[in-house]
Amino acid sequence: MSFEAFLIQTGVNGLILGALYLLMAVGFTLVFGSLRVVNFAHGEFYMLGGFAAYFTTVTMGLPAIASIPLAFLFVAVLGLFCERAVFRPFRGDELNGMIASIGLALILQNGALMLFGPMPLAMPPFAEGLTRFGSIVIPTSRLLAIVISAAVLAIFYVVMMHTRVGRAVRAMVQDAEVASTFGIHPGLVYPLGFALGVGLAAVAGAVMAPLFSVSPFTGHTPLLKAFLVVVLGGLGSIPGAAIASLAVGLIESYTATFYGSLAADGLILLLAVIMLVMRPNGLLGRAMRVG
Amino acid sequence: MSELQQTNPVPATAKWKIPQEFLTAKSATYCALFLPLAALPLLIDSSFVYHIAILVCLNAIITSGLGVIVRVDQLSLAHGAFAGIGAYASALAVIKLGVPFLLSLVLAALAAGVAAVLLGRLVLGLKGVYFVLATFAFNELFRMIMLLLPEISGGTNGLSNIPAAEIAGLEISSKPGFYIFIALALAATLLVVWMILRSPIGRAFDAISGNLPLAQASGIPPRRYQILAFTSGSVIAGVGGGIMAAYVGFISPESFTFWFSVNTIIMLIVGGRYSIMGPVLGALLLTPLPEVLRSTGQLQQIIYGVCLIAILRFMPGGVSGLIDRFAELMSGRK
Repeated sequence: MSFEAFLIQTGVNGLILGALYLLMAVGFTLVFGSLRVVNFAHGEFYMLGGFAAYFTTVTMGLPAIASIPLAFLFVAVLGLFCERAVFRPFRGDELNGMIASIGLALILQNGALMLFGPMPLAMPPFAEGLTRFGSIVIPTSRLLAIVISAAVLAIFYVVMMHTRVGRAVRAMVQDAEVASTFGIHPGLVYPLGFALGVGLAAVAGAVMAPLFSVSPFTGHTPLLKAFLVVVLGGLGSIPGAAIASLAVGLIESYTATFYGSLAADGLILLLAVIMLVMRPNGLLGRAMRVG
Repeated sequence: MSELQQTNPVPATAKWKIPQEFLTAKSATYCALFLPLAALPLLIDSSFVYHIAILVCLNAIITSGLGVIVRVDQLSLAHGAFAGIGAYASALAVIKLGVPFLLSLVLAALAAGVAAVLLGRLVLGLKGVYFVLATFAFNELFRMIMLLLPEISGGTNGLSNIPAAEIAGLEISSKPGFYIFIALALAATLLVVWMILRSPIGRAFDAISGNLPLAQASGIPPRRYQILAFTSGSVIAGVGGGIMAAYVGFISPESFTFWFSVNTIIMLIVGGRYSIMGPVLGALLLTPLPEVLRSTGQLQQIIYGVCLIAILRFMPGGVSGLIDRFAELMSGRK
């Protein structure tokens, strides 16, 4: 493999990571925006998305492409239930909502551990073979992961910007009081925002399941990376999150290839710390109002 | 001059009396509960009971630190990292420099304190969410730095063979000896926390968590008090970490992960975050469980999660909230 091809391969891996982090960060931001809860269970929903994909493709034998909407659906429904059972009483109560989400993370992770065991499960790739662009060769499965993530984000964007539901959720995120005077029912919109947010995490889990492995412990790293992307890009800023997650993915991929994964993680954490000092609201975030 | 004297009518001797708030039904209830319990391990004299009792005290000390931080409405997810900083500082001082145990605890407190002031200045101006994210990231950063510096930290292998604690030439590696030491350390911690919280500083904490704009308008600088709370709480965690290193004899970066902080949070919430004794109750209720029920680890974690959510929802004062209410009923107040 030529050095150029090697660099491009590393870049593709970086894009995949970037797509994963973006899916996680957008969902995380949506949950925070609608419920005002820092959702520590977000990584567990990613993990459950991976398991849902595993069981639909490997156990039930459905095509890989069907596993993604099914994972979304399964986790979104679970999200509706969790919102009702766990988060609704803590709406607007950041501290207690956050602690409750830690409790939920404990329940989900150890529940998965009891049901599925600690052994990582391997999943077949979306597609076999390689795709050639001139002299550059990329595994088709990796290319598909990027394409699917981009497609899901595009669908999400259209839903949020151009449908009644999306507009209602956005209005609620911007100003819950004003939105409810316009007849938007918080009791309907909050669960929707939460379900959509954790659904995106599940999509990330399902897309990444064939590339990484599926185990009850896979949620922690994507959660950490979503946090860092949010710190870097600014909470509530989708363009900021997009730039930050691609940057984090690419930096991680190149640094990890040349200097090892520990150095990559350290560098990104360092960047996040610098950002917190220089621009506490992130790359493109607006100053948040108190209260 | 005379004006000044008039504003302070309490005679100087009154300062040395036991403060009134110590002699309440509440404190009587806690004394009736805890003094016999504290003596119990000495009576049973079994090495397993000593072990559990030592762990309870250790967790109670570390959780007390978090209790101070939560007083200003901040939740630190870096509590594990600060315990880790203290543990490494004290273990390295003992191993590499041959520093006596008690002095190594002072160094642990210093190291954790300096780190907390630096981190606090950096992130305490941030709004609640960013603060939590920043402390979460700091906990990861600590673990990573420790893994990146194997010459100092021992890397993934950690530091083993940490010498047993020794005070004034007296080795307290025996379980009863260590239990008496750590019980006294816990009592000292609780006393310090109590003194902080009943002082004007503690009242400023309450004002900040009660109504931030009002506190600001009354001339309380919130940032300074938040850094103070964060630092004192983290120093307590550092001392706890130092004691832990000496007792367990082995530390590694994996001893102080996110889940360390989470366990501390659970103990605090279950025990009760509004009371000084809450951390002790939380440690007392939750520490023995994993030691006794080793086989059902996952189920136990699920139960913890359910308890955490249920207590937040239905009993925000935790177990100590119940005891306070009982004490109030006993003393005939509503």
